Amino acid sequence: MERVGGWLVRGYLGLVLVFLYLPIAVMIVMAFNRSPLYELPIVFDTVWFQALAKNERLLTAGFNSLWIAIANTIIATALGTMAALAFQRYSFRGRTLMQLLLFPPITIPWLIIGTSMLVMFFWLGIGRGLHAMLLGHVALSIPYVIVVVGARLKSFGTALEEAAATLGANPWQTFWRISAPVMAPGVVAAALFAFAVSFDQFVISYFLAPPGVSTLPVEIYSAIRKGFTPEVNAISTIIIVVSMGLMLLFARLYRFGGER
Amino acid sequence: MSTVEVRGLTKRYGRVAALDNVSLLFAEGEFFGLLGPSGSGKTTLLRCAAGFIEPEAGDIHFDGQNVRALPVHKRNIGMVFQNYALFPHLSVFDNIAFGLVVRGMKRADVRQRVTEMLALIRLSGLEDRRPRQLSGGQQQRVALARALVTRPRVLLLDEPLGALDKRLRQEMQVELRQIQREVGITTIFVTHDQEEAMTLCDRIAIFNEGRVVQVGAPSRVYERPATTFAANFLGDANLFRGHAVARDGFQVIECGDGIEIATGDPLPSAGGVVALAVRPEKISLWPADSAPVGTEGENRLSGEIVHTIYSGSSITYRLAVPGRELMVFEQNRSARPYAPGDRVVATWPAEHTVVVEEQKT
Amino acid sequence: MDVQQRRRIAIVGLTAPAYLWLALAVFLPLSAMLYFSFLTVAPFGGREAELTLKHYRAFIDKPLYRDLAWISLKLGFHVTLICVLMGYPAALALARYVKGRWREALFLLVVLPFWSNALVRTFSWTMVLRGDGLVDRMIQAVLPWAPSLDLLFSYPAVVIGLVHAYLPYMILTCYISLQAIDDSLIEAARSLGASGATAFRRVILPLSVPGLIAGTVLIFVPVIGSFMEPRILGGPRAATMLGTVIEEQFTRIFNWPFGAALSFILLGIVLLILALSYPLLRRPMQAM
Repeated sequence: MERVGGWLVRGYLGLVLVFLYLPIAVMIVMAFNRSPLYELPIVFDTVWFQALAKNERLLTAGFNSLWIAIANTIIATALGTMAALAFQRYSFRGRTLMQLLLFPPITIPWLIIGTSMLVMFFWLGIGRGLHAMLLGHVALSIPYVIVVVGARLKSFGTALEEAAATLGANPWQTFWRISAPVMAPGVVAAALFAFAVSFDQFVISYFLAPPGVSTLPVEIYSAIRKGFTPEVNAISTIIIVVSMGLMLLFARLYRFGGER
Repeated sequence: MSTVEVRGLTKRYGRVAALDNVSLLFAEGEFFGLLGPSGSGKTTLLRCAAGFIEPEAGDIHFDGQNVRALPVHKRNIGMVFQNYALFPHLSVFDNIAFGLVVRGMKRADVRQRVTEMLALIRLSGLEDRRPRQLSGGQQQRVALARALVTRPRVLLLDEPLGALDKRLRQEMQVELRQIQREVGITTIFVTHDQEEAMTLCDRIAIFNEGRVVQVGAPSRVYERPATTFAANFLGDANLFRGHAVARDGFQVIECGDGIEIATGDPLPSAGGVVALAVRPEKISLWPADSAPVGTEGENRLSGEIVHTIYSGSSITYRLAVPGRELMVFEQNRSARPYAPGDRVVATWPAEHTVVVEEQKT
Repeated sequence: MDVQQRRRIAIVGLTAPAYLWLALAVFLPLSAMLYFSFLTVAPFGGREAELTLKHYRAFIDKPLYRDLAWISLKLGFHVTLICVLMGYPAALALARYVKGRWREALFLLVVLPFWSNALVRTFSWTMVLRGDGLVDRMIQAVLPWAPSLDLLFSYPAVVIGLVHAYLPYMILTCYISLQAIDDSLIEAARSLGASGATAFRRVILPLSVPGLIAGTVLIFVPVIGSFMEPRILGGPRAATMLGTVIEEQFTRIFNWPFGAALSFILLGIVLLILALSYPLLRRPMQAM
């Protein structure tokens, strides 16, 4: 009886996976389908990807997304890693409070964060635009970076750096020869995460996008609202394959970087 | 190689004194053990010597040079951590070479020294492996090699064998001592395992609550513990408490229940409670009906076996005598141990009874 | 410069940049918006604004807005409930019935969609649910005479889209809780005479409650503030909830102070939920 129960449960898990991947699979299939409407039979064609290459709006939005994501990755990873180092290597009063303050950006609905950024930036005269979006993206990415790098640092503790010091390495040497290489997988994983957070970010970008300038998710959104073109399928396929690929990389680094 | 002297070292955390005015001298080439329960201050002392903890008061001298102002990386020490702290991203060779590389030694010289060291720890041929590919015992040896290859002044060992299982630990104890003797380096060894401390060390210091309870060679500390804490921490002890009474020529205390215990040590003539200790292995047991006649200067108690623990080569008895229980430890000579309920007589010479100071545990 | 001072400088130097950034981009804007919610009009373009409570009062007085909040809460409840019902058994399967390398691989597969682009995922549902999309075609393949089940632009569509988006989250938190349960506990229960079902009821279920609670809170909060999924999948009929109305204030109606007030009411609800569940969540968070 137990065995049957076990297989039932595993079968259920399979069903859940089907549910999770079904729409994505459909979208990818449709992206390669010649027909712009949903007519069968399905004929393989890359026509929409070619049309995509000529779609100026989507391409520009894509580049915007890309450069914001890259800038976001660099800034958020740097800032977050520094903060993570401080939390793990030193204990000080107020550390718990500061760690608590990392939660609001993650737990408060992004709608509220987006609208409040809009309000304040307008008020301050910063206005909307790509720079405002960058400001928002980095703020959202920092908590994730701190958590990921912090976990990596925690798994090694201070013993390695102490050992290096007893062997005669000054603080500089210790950092470059020991701390940095050991931290590296965690930092890279955090960077990938930050990139994904920014590239996929819709809500904040939506509120901070002035007319004429937008990122890829925002552009896709307006395309959907207006009634859609099949190129959206194509670009969506690209995006989802890229973002899943990034996450796979992240997972490998996060797990296998944890060697002792 | 250096002598290490610690004078008046004090370190507080809040109101708790981790170290309370501790002074010790570690002789050159000595294998010195710091022994004590958790939180007794032994690890704090080690880390002060390394430079990770700054004491509030007191000095540390290496060969007469005050090192308090020196940061860790300038003290020229070697340290082995409890979990070895091998650099996971470096090979065994690079791990061992690390101390030499950061000092700017030439590649050829580095290679020579590391190869020598690998031979010493018997791991030649494994230099390209990563730490995670090694067994616990091998990692331990690499950690030791890494600490020694720079020819430091002092070797600091923080419970280095704690992570090994019993058999491996015993093997490593022997190796550790051999290597230390060969190299001749002053070594400070922290452990909470009293058996380990006694078998490995030239001298030991027993710590409790931030203070040194007793210092000396293991045999001396064991045979003549200074306090009740030392008596109970290092091995087991039977304790008697009572007042001194006059008994021509002998030092005797009266403990109540009609028991009088003689000791070979001088007793204070004034009143006050005195504590005496006798080790379980110093007591002989005889069957009650065939016990030899008592001699002068011998302690003698009659009682009944309450409990027998048979350990193969030895037997531990718990003996009920008036007012207390005695612990007796005998070699398994006769292959016919006493059973609970047997009436026996316990005897031991007065000189094996030691006066000890009261000390709260 | 002594060690203590150097330490302090290091700590401040390392944390200040990140926290300054957070202050500027998150905490300051939230305060600004709070202030905003008490203004009569947005003070741009030379208009004069005064302090007022009218926006908050509008929420309390007009039943329309209270209904909005209620619909959003209902949505949160429906989505969370379905996620629990669907997700817990899946987590159970993964934690206790799948072993070895399969477990890691499947776990990754489950979590992957969650971390992909949310907008694109929502969009992909439009194709499955629409008039002649996949669902319809499959039904028609089996029952050719059935009417078109045009699910798109309806409340169920919004629910489905949100469940799809957040289900991995529930599976994740439940999985973490479940796999932390030592096998020996189950074995002990069985040796004491408990059947498989009883062991589940009395040992596994209670010990996995923290995961359930964590998942519930972490799904409920974003759902009640969602606007993208309702807009894309709900269409004009079903897209009226707190999140979409707030969004409208800022992008179409331009009544920013009112939008600000609504946002803070939403924030208040969220904080209330978080505060109520923090004691229940504290330990599982430490485990993660």
